[in-house]
Amino acid sequence: MFKNIEHYKPDLEKTMCMLGKLYADAARRRGGNVTFRALPPSDVEFYSTFDLTKYNYESDINEYAEDLSRLLAESFELRREVDDIMVPTISPVLGIGDYSAFVAGEIDFRKDTSWSKPVFENIDDWKRIPPLGTSKWYRWFLEICEAMLEISSGSGIPFMRGFFSPLDLAGALRGDMIYYDFYDEPEKLHDLLAFCADATIMFAEDIYALARKYLKDTKYGMYYLDGKINMSEDIACMISGKTYREFARPHTQRVINHFGEGHMHTHSRSLYLVKEICSMDGVVNLWLPTDPNAPRPIDHLEELIEDADGVCLAIDIDDFSEIENNLEILKKGNFSLTLPVKDIEEAKALTERFNLLEGI
Amino acid sequence: MIIEEISLALQKGKANDVKALVQQALAEGYTPKDILEKGLIQGMNVIGGKFKRNEVFVPEVLVAARAMNAGQEILRPVLVKSGIKPIGKAVICTVQGDLHDIGKNLVKMMLEGQAIACVDLGVDVPAEKVIAAIKEHEPDLLCLSALLTTTMIMQKEIIEAVNKAGLRNRVKIMVGGAPVTEKFALEIKADGYAPDAASAAELAVQLIGEMHV
Repeated sequence: MFKNIEHYKPDLEKTMCMLGKLYADAARRRGGNVTFRALPPSDVEFYSTFDLTKYNYESDINEYAEDLSRLLAESFELRREVDDIMVPTISPVLGIGDYSAFVAGEIDFRKDTSWSKPVFENIDDWKRIPPLGTSKWYRWFLEICEAMLEISSGSGIPFMRGFFSPLDLAGALRGDMIYYDFYDEPEKLHDLLAFCADATIMFAEDIYALARKYLKDTKYGMYYLDGKINMSEDIACMISGKTYREFARPHTQRVINHFGEGHMHTHSRSLYLVKEICSMDGVVNLWLPTDPNAPRPIDHLEELIEDADGVCLAIDIDDFSEIENNLEILKKGNFSLTLPVKDIEEAKALTERFNLLEGI
Repeated sequence: MIIEEISLALQKGKANDVKALVQQALAEGYTPKDILEKGLIQGMNVIGGKFKRNEVFVPEVLVAARAMNAGQEILRPVLVKSGIKPIGKAVICTVQGDLHDIGKNLVKMMLEGQAIACVDLGVDVPAEKVIAAIKEHEPDLLCLSALLTTTMIMQKEIIEAVNKAGLRNRVKIMVGGAPVTEKFALEIKADGYAPDAASAAELAVQLIGEMHV
């Protein structure tokens, strides 16, 4: 179903070289890299057309994997002439419910996303669940990964999987009670977060081992996994920098330390947390999408460059002129800029225009 | 002064202290109206203002609201006895397809902090349940929350359903949630939009005032 990655990304070597330099510079806290991703509708449309309610995940895993792989292959094919920084990746799509159901609980599937309900009524319920790795969704998720790895094997396309941070995982398992836990049960909350860090490490290691089985002989198949962890810090948007530092950071840091490099995600709602997240050891990338009714990162470049201290910030822009107008400032830090475009032709044209910019 | 102590304890989220201080204030002869308005509501207003300015965050608002509830539990029977009623009533929910409830819960707590009684329909609420609640509870306000761009469209559908049911003149409708903008609120013909829970409470008081003119 999938062709070789170089079919979808004819300039693969150049792109991987740029990414390598970007993250190496970020690790050394040295700026100077600005990259560009055009976001045509075809990059994301399949998320809304792929019907998650169609499958019985106990019996239809192969059908699921084939359907999703077909959509991914179509999406990759459409953008093969776009010479931007985006590298095709294979990744399961199950909404957001699976990000915590691997520990405990059920997934409530809706057409284009999924949910999980809080299952830890008491803060120390994590001590009473079956051992990690034995839940139904832990097993099924690995089976889904394996089905997708089998379909894509031989293509050399990197496999990719992100995770909740310990705080996000604890938030999903505990629900809104977690906000009271900061005040009512601070010690027990640390215990829960430590458990969530252990769970994330174990789950990620199992996924990575599986991916390694299929991708170890490929040049870039393990690029987004080996020595890296990709984690969200969404709940962090609801708490102060001080609370983040006291509760979330030590546990997130432990997960990053286990793998090496941290590729993080939070929202522009919490620009005040950029410094906290980027100052953790090993963090090289922070994806910071713009939320409605929240500050736009592109409007706060000077302070973000200072707060990020060389960590690459992946931010959205609304118009290409925002790159041209801010180019000299952008070059002081490391940035990955994403611009939604109306179609592939515009994606190609704007990528060419970007690639002609001086000093990029 | 004990009323100030109530406000400060509430701002720190000290529910047990608030409870004890309210009891003490009543025993010392303070009127329930003063305890409510100058102690509890004033404390929640301070928290709301700090929340708007990113000086406090969700956990601090939630523990303050819990302290407010603790104080109100003591006050409620006395308020009823003195004939002091809530300034209005709101039906609040997260719309169908959306299971997020933190935003809705924050708004509810802020509304209650302004002495607005709330009927909470929960999350993932379809239009027909909203219509039934308006008929049953006759609220001044309907507050619709959505956290996703894919579910905010349900706010429009619910407003249309309220129109169709002939109830639009009986209730003011506020919309909110992370992806919702003022422009969207105008487009779907809501009566109000607020970017955060504290502003929502201020707007709610204003809209209830307009209803009762």
